[in-house]
Amino acid sequence: MSSSASLATLPPPARTVSRTRRARAVLAAEWIKLRSLRSLPVTLVVAAVFCVGLAALVCSDYAGHWKDVSAADRNTFDPLTVNFGFLRIGVLFFGVLGALVVTSEYGNGLIRTTFAATPQRGLVLAAKAALLGALALPASSVVCFAAFFVGQGLLSGHVPTVHIGDPGVLGHLLGAVAYLTATGLCGVFLGVLARGTAVAMTSVFALFLMLPVTVDELPHTALWRYTVPYLPSNLGETVWHSHTTGLLTAGPAWALLVLWPAGLGTLAALWLRHHDA
Amino acid sequence: MVLAATLLAMVLGAWMVSAGYHSSYTAADRASFDPGDLTLRGVIVTQLLVGALGVLTVTGEYTSGLIRTTFIATPQRGQVLAMKALIFTTVVGVWCTGLSFVAFFVGRSFLTAPVPPVGLGDPGVPTAVFGGGLYLAGVGLFGMFLGALLRRTAAALAALVGVMMVLPVVLALLPGNTGALVSEYSPAGAGFQIWHLVHSGHSLGAWPGFALFTAYAAATAAAAFFTIRRRDV
Amino acid sequence: MIEAKALTKRYGGKTAVDGIDFQVRPGSVTGFLGPNGAGKSTTMRMILGLDLPTAGTVTVDGRDYRGKVWPLHDVGALLDARAVHPGRSAYNHLHSLAAANGIGRARVDVVLEQVGLTSVAHKRVGGFSLGMAQRLGIAGVLLGNPGTMLFDEPVNGLDPDGILWIRTLMRSLAAEGRTVLVSSHLMSEMALTADHLLVIGRGRLLADTPLSELIARHSAERVEVRAADPRRLTADLRAVGARVAVESDGTLAVTGMGSVGIGELAAARGHVLHQLHDVTASLEQAYFRLTGESVEYRTPVSALEAGPTSKAVPKPEAVSA
Repeated sequence: MSSSASLATLPPPARTVSRTRRARAVLAAEWIKLRSLRSLPVTLVVAAVFCVGLAALVCSDYAGHWKDVSAADRNTFDPLTVNFGFLRIGVLFFGVLGALVVTSEYGNGLIRTTFAATPQRGLVLAAKAALLGALALPASSVVCFAAFFVGQGLLSGHVPTVHIGDPGVLGHLLGAVAYLTATGLCGVFLGVLARGTAVAMTSVFALFLMLPVTVDELPHTALWRYTVPYLPSNLGETVWHSHTTGLLTAGPAWALLVLWPAGLGTLAALWLRHHDA
Repeated sequence: MVLAATLLAMVLGAWMVSAGYHSSYTAADRASFDPGDLTLRGVIVTQLLVGALGVLTVTGEYTSGLIRTTFIATPQRGQVLAMKALIFTTVVGVWCTGLSFVAFFVGRSFLTAPVPPVGLGDPGVPTAVFGGGLYLAGVGLFGMFLGALLRRTAAALAALVGVMMVLPVVLALLPGNTGALVSEYSPAGAGFQIWHLVHSGHSLGAWPGFALFTAYAAATAAAAFFTIRRRDV
Repeated sequence: MIEAKALTKRYGGKTAVDGIDFQVRPGSVTGFLGPNGAGKSTTMRMILGLDLPTAGTVTVDGRDYRGKVWPLHDVGALLDARAVHPGRSAYNHLHSLAAANGIGRARVDVVLEQVGLTSVAHKRVGGFSLGMAQRLGIAGVLLGNPGTMLFDEPVNGLDPDGILWIRTLMRSLAAEGRTVLVSSHLMSEMALTADHLLVIGRGRLLADTPLSELIARHSAERVEVRAADPRRLTADLRAVGARVAVESDGTLAVTGMGSVGIGELAAARGHVLHQLHDVTASLEQAYFRLTGESVEYRTPVSALEAGPTSKAVPKPEAVSA
């Protein structure tokens, strides 16, 4: 148990390193932590099963009850909107997943060890966000495309359907993927700002579930027009194509959907820089 | 802190929902006009805060290990949980009933002509306004018992949100009768009736609905009391 | 080398660390001693750049911790052994720390071997005992083979074997020329481990001295003497100005005169001595004298003197079942 033998085994580190070398090291460290979280694959699989399952349930319910659907509802029926309704819930999985990546370190004090090993806290945050994004992007792609093909498959033969090659459809599919990924990133940054699992999860639920349920169907007063369409959930509705009236057009919605995680990320980075760990 | 947030959510809810309602009010709205739903819409966000508070009341002790000290001091674990529930119900129930009244009066002041005037003396209104507080206290208790059952903050919070807040959204996506039928007897669908004034065909009505909601919470409570006695801390 | 200058930390209106200056030098174990709540952990967190000082500076090897590119090569720290994710294995925990500082995998195996955790390296940390968790924390300290090491209350909750192991390890690390700072509220542990002491109370530095000097300075040294004829010896000692207290078993407690002087006097006057013994005050006594004024949460004496609590607290009535 003597430590003197180890002195020779470790070469002295270079005092000056390139920023990319430093960033690569942090990325590697965060990746080791992420892949050794056992709740991660479980949550992803549950999310995928839930989302695709819900899309299948809703679409088969429409297919089975088409004869009961009123003529007015038939006129406004949009196979894509019905198919993607699961996003209103699926988004919660991604938001909570992002939050847990951060709060799993705050609950037990591990964050101090992390910041002692890498005092460049912004780099740690960037690495966590980058890895979550890299994970959420393929995961949400699989979920959205699977839900689309399963859902349209169940609808076809009974009700009108869309094809992936139809104008705008692929764009809305990508919009759905972007919405889920952006929410995952928002979750990461909310996790930093909230610090605790309970507060972070509650913020995700409030922002992406309860707030839209409360305000979406209100009369479109001036107050509504200047706030509600800018909620991340409604930017999402625009890009994945719902028929809520009064929302923004696709271009600004895409831009603002990127701005939400960017803004929260800036806040989180500033918070980390100026507060004790 | 949480209680202050609930005040904010309730009053903001009443203001945001009720202000401007008169400008879009049409004759068609008269049939479905529900001053309970309008003035008390803040309940939807507030139930999340109160539910999280209920969950944390129990899981906070499990996370910090304080629960061992608590159970060593009082080995009658059922009594500990019952006392917690009693104190929680009293504090949160009184506070939320107060909030419900404040939200009602704030919201009512924005419901100007052509919206028909609404007062506390109108039929069903006292039930709805008291019901807002009762419902919130009920959600908090539900969260508390889920916390005692599952012990972990994340799991209990996810379960509460899943049942009370996600399920209604899921059911609303379904077009057939199944959705409406399940919604009628789901905890949220049943519990919502007490603070609404208009009860559509697919609803149990104020008190029967609330009774069913209470029954769900009571069943969770029974499961919590049963496991908390038998399980190692 | 750790250097603090006018280091201050305030939380709201409460001052946790109040303008302290100190240097922790390489080659010896420096004990950071103080009652609970004195500001030890806050100071350690500021050294590590985790908490920002309200005023003043603290540097390690002349540089601010937050300015270090690969900090684990310079500084290793054990703050809280339970600050690990319970679902992760010991190996993965260390591997991620190593990767963050450009340290290879091979080094992880080396330090796991060094702390004796090789056989449980791939087990969940959640199942570890506190002693094993402490060893894992120490593996993290050794990971970058740093010249400066910080240990916050490292022996808390350890069994005697573990305490001995840590003590030996810290002494050998210091002997290799490293800077070792170890905090504790256990004086007995410091007496056995530290060469140099920083004593802190209520956020202020009370002493910064070698251990032996602290004891010497703050102890009222006395000599215990047993003699064949204590009464005559007492008279002879008092005649030359020494103060003598006679204890119930006849032992003389002499102050104001060293054992050399007493021995010479006894020989000159023909006294038969059975025992001549220097009594140095323990670190405990020196410490209490220093911190006596600064203990934050002191038990009121009256509460301790109130007698057995069973008499003071009325028993509640039994609940009839």
